[in-house]
Amino acid sequence: MALPDASGDVLSEMDVDAFRRLFPLRFFETHLVKSTRPDGRSLAEARETSSALGAVASADGSALVKIGSTRMLAAIKMEVMTPSKESPDEGCIAIDFHMPPICSPTVRPGRPAEAAPVVSKQLSDTILRQVKCLSCCSFCGMINLKELSLISGKAAWMAYLDIYCLDADGALFDAALLSAVAAFSHLQIPVVSMNDDGKVVVLSGDHGGKEPVNKGKRKLTLSSIPLSLTCLLHKNYILADPTAEEESVMETLVTVVLDSSGQLVSLYKPGGPVLAYTSAIQDCVALTRQRARELQTILDEVTSGMEVD
Amino acid sequence: MVGLSIGEKHFIQGGIAQDLRSDGRKRLTTRPIYVETGVISQANGSARVRMGATDVIASVKAELGRPNALQPDKGKVVVNVDCSPTAAPMFEGRGGEELSAELSVALQCCLLGGKSGSGAGIDLSSLVVVEGKICWDLYIDGLVVSSDGNLLDALGAAIKAALSNTGIPKVNVAAGASGDEQPEVDVSDEEFLQFDTSRVPVIVTLTKVGRHYIVDATSEEESQMSSAVSISINRQGHICGLTKRGGAGLDPSIILDMISVAKTVSEQLINTLDSHIAAAEAGEEES
Amino acid sequence: MAGKGGAAPSTYSPSPTTQKTKSRIFGNDDVDWVRSDGREFHQCRPAFFKTGAVNAAAGSAYAEFGNTKVIVSVFGPRESKKAMMYSDIGRLNCNVSYTTFATPVRGQGSDHKEFSSMLHKALEGAIILETFPKTTVDVFALVLESGGSDLPVVISCASLALADAGIMMYDLVTSVSVSGLGKNLVIDPILEEESYQDGSLMLTCMPSRYEVTQLTITGEWSTPKINEGMQICLDACSKLAVVMRACLKGPDSTLEE
Repeated sequence: MALPDASGDVLSEMDVDAFRRLFPLRFFETHLVKSTRPDGRSLAEARETSSALGAVASADGSALVKIGSTRMLAAIKMEVMTPSKESPDEGCIAIDFHMPPICSPTVRPGRPAEAAPVVSKQLSDTILRQVKCLSCCSFCGMINLKELSLISGKAAWMAYLDIYCLDADGALFDAALLSAVAAFSHLQIPVVSMNDDGKVVVLSGDHGGKEPVNKGKRKLTLSSIPLSLTCLLHKNYILADPTAEEESVMETLVTVVLDSSGQLVSLYKPGGPVLAYTSAIQDCVALTRQRARELQTILDEVTSGMEVD
Repeated sequence: MVGLSIGEKHFIQGGIAQDLRSDGRKRLTTRPIYVETGVISQANGSARVRMGATDVIASVKAELGRPNALQPDKGKVVVNVDCSPTAAPMFEGRGGEELSAELSVALQCCLLGGKSGSGAGIDLSSLVVVEGKICWDLYIDGLVVSSDGNLLDALGAAIKAALSNTGIPKVNVAAGASGDEQPEVDVSDEEFLQFDTSRVPVIVTLTKVGRHYIVDATSEEESQMSSAVSISINRQGHICGLTKRGGAGLDPSIILDMISVAKTVSEQLINTLDSHIAAAEAGEEES
Repeated sequence: MAGKGGAAPSTYSPSPTTQKTKSRIFGNDDVDWVRSDGREFHQCRPAFFKTGAVNAAAGSAYAEFGNTKVIVSVFGPRESKKAMMYSDIGRLNCNVSYTTFATPVRGQGSDHKEFSSMLHKALEGAIILETFPKTTVDVFALVLESGGSDLPVVISCASLALADAGIMMYDLVTSVSVSGLGKNLVIDPILEEESYQDGSLMLTCMPSRYEVTQLTITGEWSTPKINEGMQICLDACSKLAVVMRACLKGPDSTLEE
C-alpha cells in the first residue's frame, strides 16, 4: 500500500507513516492547505495516463489503460445474434465491468465488489446513450448500432465488452471509460460470410470462394467520444483524479462526462457529506474540459500508431 | 477431523514403521472388501462397496441426450460425488463440498482419460445411438455413507461394480427421419446391453506416513500422512491417472517406486474385485 | 425473441469452418510434424515474468508464456474469516478465475474451482505456514488470456507473487506440463495441442530441493513414459526457476503488453 514518500531519515518517515494511518483526514488536510497532495500532485492535476492497444490476442479489440496505479483491461468479443423484431437492422452491445479479487484487498472471491455493478451501469448509460436529435433526425450517440447489422432481420453483431480492473487505485470509472473507448477504436470486426446452413462463419485468408457479407465494414465509426474526470470534493477543495486512499478518506465524488465537442453527457454526484455549490460543479466541468483534451491527445497518439491490417 | 493424542499418533506411526498396523494389517494389505450390486432399483446399475468402516454407494443412470456439437460421435459421462453428513460431522452444510469436488474430478479423470479420449475406462463411442443426434448420457453418482479413509479407492471400486451391473436398454431408431429432424426412438424395456467394464481402471492410493507408505489407510492413519498419491491402473498395467494430495514434497524416484508398488497391489485388487463383483451378480440373480 | 435490453439473446461465435481437418496431424506417429509455433518437442515457450504488477496487493506477479497471460495477487497475511476456527498455523486460500475473453469462445468468467484446489495443493507444501499463525494468506489468480498450459503458468506465477509479498517459503515452486500426442511428448503445450492430446502430465516441484509437490496424470501412460515425462518436466522446472529467480533479483523491467 505504501506510496513512495518524500525522502527523509528512517525515523521521521516512520512518524509520517504512523500519522497517515492514524489521522488520515488531518494528514490530507495538512497537504491541502499547502495546495499539494501526498503523491506530489497539485490539486487539479490528474495522474500520468497511458494506453496500449491490442493487449488481448484472443479478442477482436482490446486496450490496456493505466491512470496512475489504476489499471484497466478492456476487450471486445464479437458474436452473432438474430436481431430483435423491433430493430431488425441493429446490433447490440453488452457492457460488463468486473472487479476480480486480484485488484483490491477489499474484494473477496464469491462476493462481487459493491462498486462493480454501479460502474457497469454508468458505463452502459454513457456508451449506449442514443439520442434522437430533432435537427438531424438520426442518431447522436457514440456508436451507431446500425453499423453492427450484418443481414437485416437475420444476423447482427453482438459486441461483448468486458472490462477488468486489474489494479484498483481510485477513479475507476474514468479508467474504465477510457479503456472502453480505446478498445472500440482498436476493434477489428472479423470478415464473415453466410454458409449453407444459414450460420455466419469467419472467412479465413483465401475467402473460400464465398462472398463476405460485411466487406469494408471492419471498423466502427466513433462519433462524439465521451471522456470523463472524477473529482473529489472536500470542504472548499476540489481534487482531480483521486487515488483509492483519497477516496476512502474524503467521500464526496463528482464525475463529469463530456463528449468530444465539449457538451455535457452526464454528471454523477452520488451523495456524500459535502453539498456542492453550483460554482464547484462548474469548476469540476472546467477541469474535465481540460482533462478531456489531454485524454483525446493520448487516444489519438495510440490509434495513430496502430497498424491497420 | 480425527482427534488423536500424542501417544496414539506415535502408536500409529510406530506400527507402520514396523510393518504391523493397529488393526493387524501389513503395510500393503487392504481391508476385506464387500461388494453388493443392484442396491438401487431405480438406477440402471448400482453397487455398494464396504472396506472396513468405509461405506460408499455408486449408481449409474442412463438418459438419452444429444451429443456435444464438437464431438458428435461420443456420448457423455458425468461423475458426481456427494459426501453425506451421516458419514462425518464435517460434511454438514457446505463442509463436504470441497472434498466432493476433488473426488469427482479425480474419478472423472481416471474414467475418461485424455482429451482425445484415449485411455478412457468407458468407451464413449459405444454410447452413441445416432451419430450427432442421440446418445446416452451416463450419470454416475457416488455417495459416501460412512467414511473411514481411502474414499477414492472405495468409490473407484464401487463405480466399477456399478458399471458392470449396468444394463443399458436397447434402442430402436425409427427410420425415415432426415435432415435436422430428431429421429424417433423406441426404448426397449426388455432387452438390455451389458456394459464392457474390462477397461475400467481401479484406483490405488498410497499414503505416506513417516518414511513408509501404506495402502487402504483408515482415517486415523490418513490424519498422520505427509502426502498421498492416488494412481489408477487398468488391467493391462497402464497408468490411467495420477494425483497427489498432501503438502509435503516427494522425491521423483519415490514416486516411480510408488507407481511400481501400486501396480502389484492393483493386480490383486482387480482380481479380488472381479471375483466379488461376479459373486455379487450371481447372488443378485438368485434372489 | 429476445428484446432489446431484455434477457440476453442467444449468440454464437462465428468460428471458422476449416478447423476440423488440419489438426489430425497430431495423431500421426510420424516424428516429422512440426509444432504450429515452430518449437521443438522439448522446447518451452519463452517465459516472461514481472513482479509488482498490482500495487494494491501485498505482492503480485505477471507471467506471460506465449499467449498465456496471467496475473496473481497475494494479500495478507491478514485476519482469517470470523467463522474460521483457531489454528496455530497459517491458512492458505487460493482462487483462480478466467476473464470472459480468455478463451477463444467467450466464457462466463467464473471461478475455476478445480484449478483453485490444484493451486492450493501445489503451493501448500512450499509455504512455511507456521510463520503466520491465526491468519490467512490469499492467493488470487486471474487468467487474462488462455493459450495452453494455464495451470502450470498460474502455479509458477503464484509462487513468484508469494515471494514478492515476502511470504516465507522453503523454495520457489515451478510447474511444467507435457502432452502426449501419439507417441511423442511435447512440453508446454499450447491450447490447440492440449485439445488433441492423448494424455497429459503436469509436474510441480521445488527445484532446489528436488521435491515434487504435485503431480497429475491423465490419459493412459506406461511406466517408462511417465519416467521420461517426469524427467523432461524436472529439467524444464529447474530452468524455469533460474528465470524466476533472475526476475526476483534483477531490476524491474517495465510491463510490456
